[in-house]
Amino acid sequence: MANRIQKSVPMLMIVPSLLLAVLIIGYPILDLAWTSSQEVSRFGKLIGFIGWENFAEVFGDPLFWESLTRTGIWTLAVVAGTLLISMPVAMILNDDFYGRGLARVIVMLPWAISLTMTAVVWRWALNGRSGLLNATLMQAGIIDQPIEWLATAGTAFVVEILVGILVSIPFTTTILLGGLSSMPQDAYEAAVVDGATGWHQFRYITLPLMKPFINIAIVLNVIYVFNSLPIIWVMTEGGPANGTDILVTYLYKLAFRFGQLGKASAISLIMFGVLLIFTILYVALISRNDADDAAPEAEVDDEH
Amino acid sequence: MTYSFRTSTAVIALGLGMYAFAPAAYAQTVVDFTVAEYSAKTGPYFQEVATAFEAANPDIKINIEVVPWDTLLQRLTTDVAGGSAPDISIIGTRWLLDFASQGIAEPVDSYLTPEFKSTFIDTFMGPGIIDGKIMGLPVAASARAMMVNMDLYDKAGATPPTTWDELYEASKKIAALPDTFAFGLQGKEIETDAYFYYNLWTHGGDILNADGTSGLASDAAITSAKLYKQMIDEGLTQPSPTNYNREDVFNLFKQGKVGTIFTFPMLIPQIKEEAPNLKYKILPLPEAGAKATYGVTDTLMMFADSDAKEAAWKFIEFAYQDQYREKFDLGEGFLPVTKNVAALPHFTEDPDVAGFAAGLPYAKFAPVIANWEEIADVTVRTMQQIYLGEVTPEDGMKAAADAINKIRGL
Repeated sequence: MANRIQKSVPMLMIVPSLLLAVLIIGYPILDLAWTSSQEVSRFGKLIGFIGWENFAEVFGDPLFWESLTRTGIWTLAVVAGTLLISMPVAMILNDDFYGRGLARVIVMLPWAISLTMTAVVWRWALNGRSGLLNATLMQAGIIDQPIEWLATAGTAFVVEILVGILVSIPFTTTILLGGLSSMPQDAYEAAVVDGATGWHQFRYITLPLMKPFINIAIVLNVIYVFNSLPIIWVMTEGGPANGTDILVTYLYKLAFRFGQLGKASAISLIMFGVLLIFTILYVALISRNDADDAAPEAEVDDEH
Repeated sequence: MTYSFRTSTAVIALGLGMYAFAPAAYAQTVVDFTVAEYSAKTGPYFQEVATAFEAANPDIKINIEVVPWDTLLQRLTTDVAGGSAPDISIIGTRWLLDFASQGIAEPVDSYLTPEFKSTFIDTFMGPGIIDGKIMGLPVAASARAMMVNMDLYDKAGATPPTTWDELYEASKKIAALPDTFAFGLQGKEIETDAYFYYNLWTHGGDILNADGTSGLASDAAITSAKLYKQMIDEGLTQPSPTNYNREDVFNLFKQGKVGTIFTFPMLIPQIKEEAPNLKYKILPLPEAGAKATYGVTDTLMMFADSDAKEAAWKFIEFAYQDQYREKFDLGEGFLPVTKNVAALPHFTEDPDVAGFAAGLPYAKFAPVIANWEEIADVTVRTMQQIYLGEVTPEDGMKAAADAINKIRGL
């Protein structure tokens, strides 16, 4: 009995924050779900129940499917690119070298600037005639004609992904740096004694020990990037010809330009569902892997 | 939440305090007025009018909120949905039908006295009339025209055109000049569709056919789309128009790099300030069978839910006095919507303003139809696809017309 009470204490202790989360996250979601089943006027007045019609309209809309695919590419490319760059950056910043403090500040600095501001700056830098990027490339002799980066969906989307990676680096590096600085140094010393090369140390010590930090970086980045409006909105508004629209930009247009709030609520709900499923699957995958890894150790412990 | 609660508590406390000290104090009617920000001058201007009005009417307080154009519709949508709509607001006339059909706009016929009504220029009253009722007053107006860089025309030995054929020929000469683009073509963001309508209308086409279906599949529409595409392909426009929004094109013109653009009167004060040495001329849009220009008006709308309509109307009448209208139109570079201001020397004698005003008799307005923003977006998307060569003008325009007819339920 006493044991049971003791076990439920932690649960009881998280009840207040759970309630708060339900209130803050749950209520809007319920409201959204309710709205998405209604016919909604241009100004948000609910006209009447229409069941799944908003969803049917969304699923019948080719622009929705294109945006969904593009959202997948956008999220995957930005998150993967960010991790690939952040990992070495974090490792360099973790090493002791002269001016490390300054280097860390410089890497973190973009974080202090709002996404919208960064996007505006890049929009200017990428301007075909007066942009800094073309001017630099032309002066360096790399190109002889200015390139209109944002004129076609192909180049615009690639550039937007690169900017997305750039702005995600500070946050990701911070997480990874936190992980690296908590790493036990004796493991490396032992490895060096055993003759491990740098690559071996990275592959067999750093990477496995960093797993929880990489996982949290992946989950958080996927959520942020999936929902990120400012970069694409400021640079191309999802254009030209909807060629860079992801779900959020499409959603924004539907809701606030075209006044189709019912359809927009349906898309919001779908986006919430996609993220929820991703997070649950990912967390499940991680905990299963952890359980597999932990199993043999547990047996060893038992023998003691 | 807490903040506004505190503020309102503070206001109430203050109010009670004032009652205590000044027994003669009376209840004030507050009129919330949402103002669209045309320029940095807009906010201070309306504040000045409000202050003058409050001095004359101490029982009414005008609460002005300045909102940028880009977020205005979103702002009003959320305000209306949240039940906190203002009493009056400046809106784009193209949104008026949506407001009117949802019962959000209040018809002003019963407030509008014949004397007040007669101060307006009739052309501008038209777009605000829906189902025979006046749903709002014109507050700002502009017409579009062609602007040419005379230095470039002279250098290329070309004469400013009056027809599309002449524009095409002149553009070929100007495009031959080094580091110069003949025709500035907008292909990105707000009003990309308008840049096409100029072409469409002057070729005798229209946005909607007489039966209400989309006019984008007409011969005139396909001809004009082909013309723009041809000009892009032959290097007569700046390269990659889909990377140039309205301001980008105007900036190229200010830098003296573009021979011809289609523009609005508000550009003139900008040129005078930023490129005072630019030699330009305002001319009617080129023709190909029809004379046309794009007339754009904004509307001052009263909200049906307002509980201060009398006070709001009193303010409206006050703000439409000639002295205030003159200051507004001159400050923002608009064409006057009232007869008295239109008769002022500045608007009759200044060649720039006269050049824009000349088009008013044959100006066309965006059709007052439901879902206009979505229809405009289909047009923008199609033009971008055509400019990029993703579809042929024929296929693109036909698909656009089908999509628009579907949106219109036809």
